[in-house]
Amino acid sequence: MNSMKKLVVSVFAVVAASSAAHADPLKATVIHWWTSGGESAAIKQFADAYNKAGGLWVDNAVAGADQARSTALNRIMGGDPPTAAQFNTSKQFHDIIDQGLLNNVDDVAAKENWDATFPPSIIASIKSNGHFYAAPVDIHMPAWFFYSKSAFQKAGIPKEPANYDEFIADLDKLKAAGVIPLALGGQAWQEKITFDAVFADVGGPDLYLKIYRDRDVNAVKSDAFKKVLTQFKRLHNYVDPGSPGRNWNDATALVISGKAGVQIMGDWAKGEFVAAKQSAGKDFGCFPGFGPHSPYLVAGDVFVFPKTDDANAVKAQKLLATVMTSPAAQVAFSAKKGSIPIRSDIDDSSLDMCAKEGIAIMKDKSRQLPNPEMLTPPDINGALQDVITNFWNKNQSVEDAQKAFASGLKS
Amino acid sequence: MAVTPADKALRAPVRHAKRKPLRKRFALAAYIALLPMALTVVFAYLGTMLWSLRTSFTNSRTFASTSFAGVSQYVRLFNNDRWMLSLQNIVIYGVLFIVICLVIGLLLAVFIDQKVVAEGALRTVFLYPYAMSFVATGLVWQWILNPELGIQEVLHRIGFTHARFDWIVDQDRVIYTLVIATVWQASGLVMALLLAGLRGIDDEIWKAARIDGIPRWRVYVSIVIPMLGASISTAFILLFVMVIKLYDAVVAMTQGGPGTASEVPAKFIMEYLFGRANLGLASAASIVLLITVLAILAPVFYVRSRALRLRDAR
Amino acid sequence: MTAPRHPVKRRSRFTPGRLGVYAFLLTSALFFLLPLYVMLVTSVKPMTEIRLGNILSLPMHFTLDAWRVAWQSACTGLDCKGIQVGFWNSVRIVIPSTVLSILVGAVNGYALSFWKPRGASTLFAILLMGAFIPVQVMVYPLVRVLATVHLFSSLPGIVVIHTIFGMPVMTLLFRNYYAALPHELFQAARVDGGGFWRIFLQLMVPMSTPIIVVAIIMQVTGIWNDFVLGLVFAGTKNLPMTVQLNNIINTTTGERLYNVNMAATILTSMVPLAIYFVSGRWFVRGIASGAVKG
Repeated sequence: MNSMKKLVVSVFAVVAASSAAHADPLKATVIHWWTSGGESAAIKQFADAYNKAGGLWVDNAVAGADQARSTALNRIMGGDPPTAAQFNTSKQFHDIIDQGLLNNVDDVAAKENWDATFPPSIIASIKSNGHFYAAPVDIHMPAWFFYSKSAFQKAGIPKEPANYDEFIADLDKLKAAGVIPLALGGQAWQEKITFDAVFADVGGPDLYLKIYRDRDVNAVKSDAFKKVLTQFKRLHNYVDPGSPGRNWNDATALVISGKAGVQIMGDWAKGEFVAAKQSAGKDFGCFPGFGPHSPYLVAGDVFVFPKTDDANAVKAQKLLATVMTSPAAQVAFSAKKGSIPIRSDIDDSSLDMCAKEGIAIMKDKSRQLPNPEMLTPPDINGALQDVITNFWNKNQSVEDAQKAFASGLKS
Repeated sequence: MAVTPADKALRAPVRHAKRKPLRKRFALAAYIALLPMALTVVFAYLGTMLWSLRTSFTNSRTFASTSFAGVSQYVRLFNNDRWMLSLQNIVIYGVLFIVICLVIGLLLAVFIDQKVVAEGALRTVFLYPYAMSFVATGLVWQWILNPELGIQEVLHRIGFTHARFDWIVDQDRVIYTLVIATVWQASGLVMALLLAGLRGIDDEIWKAARIDGIPRWRVYVSIVIPMLGASISTAFILLFVMVIKLYDAVVAMTQGGPGTASEVPAKFIMEYLFGRANLGLASAASIVLLITVLAILAPVFYVRSRALRLRDAR
Repeated sequence: MTAPRHPVKRRSRFTPGRLGVYAFLLTSALFFLLPLYVMLVTSVKPMTEIRLGNILSLPMHFTLDAWRVAWQSACTGLDCKGIQVGFWNSVRIVIPSTVLSILVGAVNGYALSFWKPRGASTLFAILLMGAFIPVQVMVYPLVRVLATVHLFSSLPGIVVIHTIFGMPVMTLLFRNYYAALPHELFQAARVDGGGFWRIFLQLMVPMSTPIIVVAIIMQVTGIWNDFVLGLVFAGTKNLPMTVQLNNIINTTTGERLYNVNMAATILTSMVPLAIYFVSGRWFVRGIASGAVKG
């Protein structure tokens, strides 16, 4: 009888223990726009880590950043909000915060000590009124200079340019060697990236912040900014006539095949090089700017957590925030994505050469420069993009461009 | 002539004592049948138009807000170079697109109607572009029209080294490239529409014309095409809708470029709606677009309804 | 009957007129087929060749990998299962939406054309104006409306949405078609004692075959290729194939595999293409003539 009772009790205990261990996983529907092969491998790192920590990742990928964001908004308004939705590290989601449609993740931030671990520009983006409303997941630098080693060799360029004038001289050498000096996709956002690269390097961080962050119209009218615009327009001589409308991948393809020398693009471009089986340092090179103090533009992606009272969903949101910002997941994600982790307390040995350089630069806080999207609302960003694309494509005088830029900044 | 049911009816004794004139009889069934349309119009379409109108007078950003802004969005709109350029572009594009599609569609329909060999295959060849998503086909057109990848490059390679076909990178000519690609996509549908109309024309007419010795082409010009009035009018409106909604082609082929040279209203609205989070401005633009369409269509409607009323009164 | 004035010309196959017809048709066919050629050729090349940029050249290394990948293993987010995932969802959306929208359009067109209830033409005018509103602008309020009637994110919801968006064009199509038919038929049927539905089902529908074919072509194409509405209103369990197609083609900062994109686009368009091909049977002449003589 005693052994029977023991058996029953132990069976009960086992059943109770197993049901406690196999509690229903925390389901999370996640909207994001990472759909290519490389991006899928990257998001898998997050999904796997989340599932291992007791969650159930339900993927709702929608290609096209604008499309994904509007899908998230529509679902929120339709009463069927996702558990998490991707946005850029920017002011894009601040309207949603103001409408009270996001849950905050203050307790995760406090527990994981985000204030001390993340770069200040990112903290500024994800915090509003003292509360944390988003979990940052990567840092992308939109203005890397990628170049084809074979093209540089053909043009007789021995080393990476140390300043902007040397860069122009290198472009001339490439032109003389019959190579397209600068591979540009003539779409407005790519032209803007090129401009911001020149702005940061030639204009310097102070002018940059005065204009983008402080919206100082006098700074726009200054000679220093005039110089930035002029140097930017100089690049037009080094771009091939087929450039307008071209996709950024097609421009990278030119560099990959050695038909073009340099492309100014974000570090996500490494995905194309990898897909073509080229490796950093061997087939192509990368540098983030000119000289040892060149500014490093900081951009990135975050996940926000739409408001919900469902207790399980809230738990899922907190788990997501914790997992996605954890060191191991960050390194695994960055390796596949081409970005760099948002925290510096990680082991970067598995990342590629360009990422390692980026991480090293990020340690110097003075070189960090927030992306324009982090400083200005989407509307003004768009207006400035229009100004730049017009200046690039038309025979507009620098003074007119300055005036247009100033009025775009004020609008 | 055969005795038609109408003849029989006229000769038959009147069955009902009280007979309302046919047209004015209250047909409850018709009203009930039109209920879905009425509901849709009022709640979906009219509702949206009024909502857009209201939003265009506010400072709405990502969400519809109630902060009244007077006509400031409209002022911003008309001071916006991109918007004014988009209106200009859509007019040029619209006229070219509609005319060329109607002409090509009509020619294709008439020629295919000639009992040609492999009619089914030909019809599919002209219609297949309509089946394909323009996101991919637009990219293909971008490649074909790009001076370094497409036609200009091919011409150079086969020897015409000074040939130029770089409209797509030329700010003044890029709008024509959009015409080319979208005519390719839509002409097949116009052809199908007009072919259906042609096939609905009584065989008697052909027989009578042949007996009278009228050459085939004159039959088309003087008799058949006027009879296609309804089909052509439908095709016109469909094409007009496509013009106003032109978006995918621009995004896939030129992204509105070079610069902002190929900007169109639908793309402007979309960008301010999402990318630039300015619902107020986007709504104002939609209303302006709608009013423009109304201004163009109202006279057309009026003329047509007068013609119909005259015909029915006969 | 008068005697023929000239002998009826024998339709020989090689008259200049006929040659002209074929010349025009063949030249046009070449223009129309050019992009398809580029798409097919791109879809069977490996990416290394595509990057070289020769869009018109035949492949040096022919490979059908891209087609396989597009159908079953292309990445569309976390899942890499290609476009086949949404195939049946698309079918389940297209069939009821096409049937319902054409039915509603036909009834509307019939009522507007023959019965003309009061106020109907004003409603129709507003409906037609509605066709010009950009889809995205309408999505905003419609999300709210559907959420209120609990149809948001569901299959019935997306069917209703497609019917709403298809109504202007379908109604126009049928109304203009019926307007061109001889009204004597209708009047005779009324005199005969026919009611609204009887006349519709027994007289109008049989005569509408050509326009129904056109309507099917338009609706199947539009609904099958629709992406925005399906994404917003169908709910995650019913996402149509075009969502996966968009995810494959439109990556923002991801690498683009053009061969897979082209293959995926052609695969997606197979269904509308099949409909076009099959519809040929109904583009026959003389549908209305039978009724007039009868």
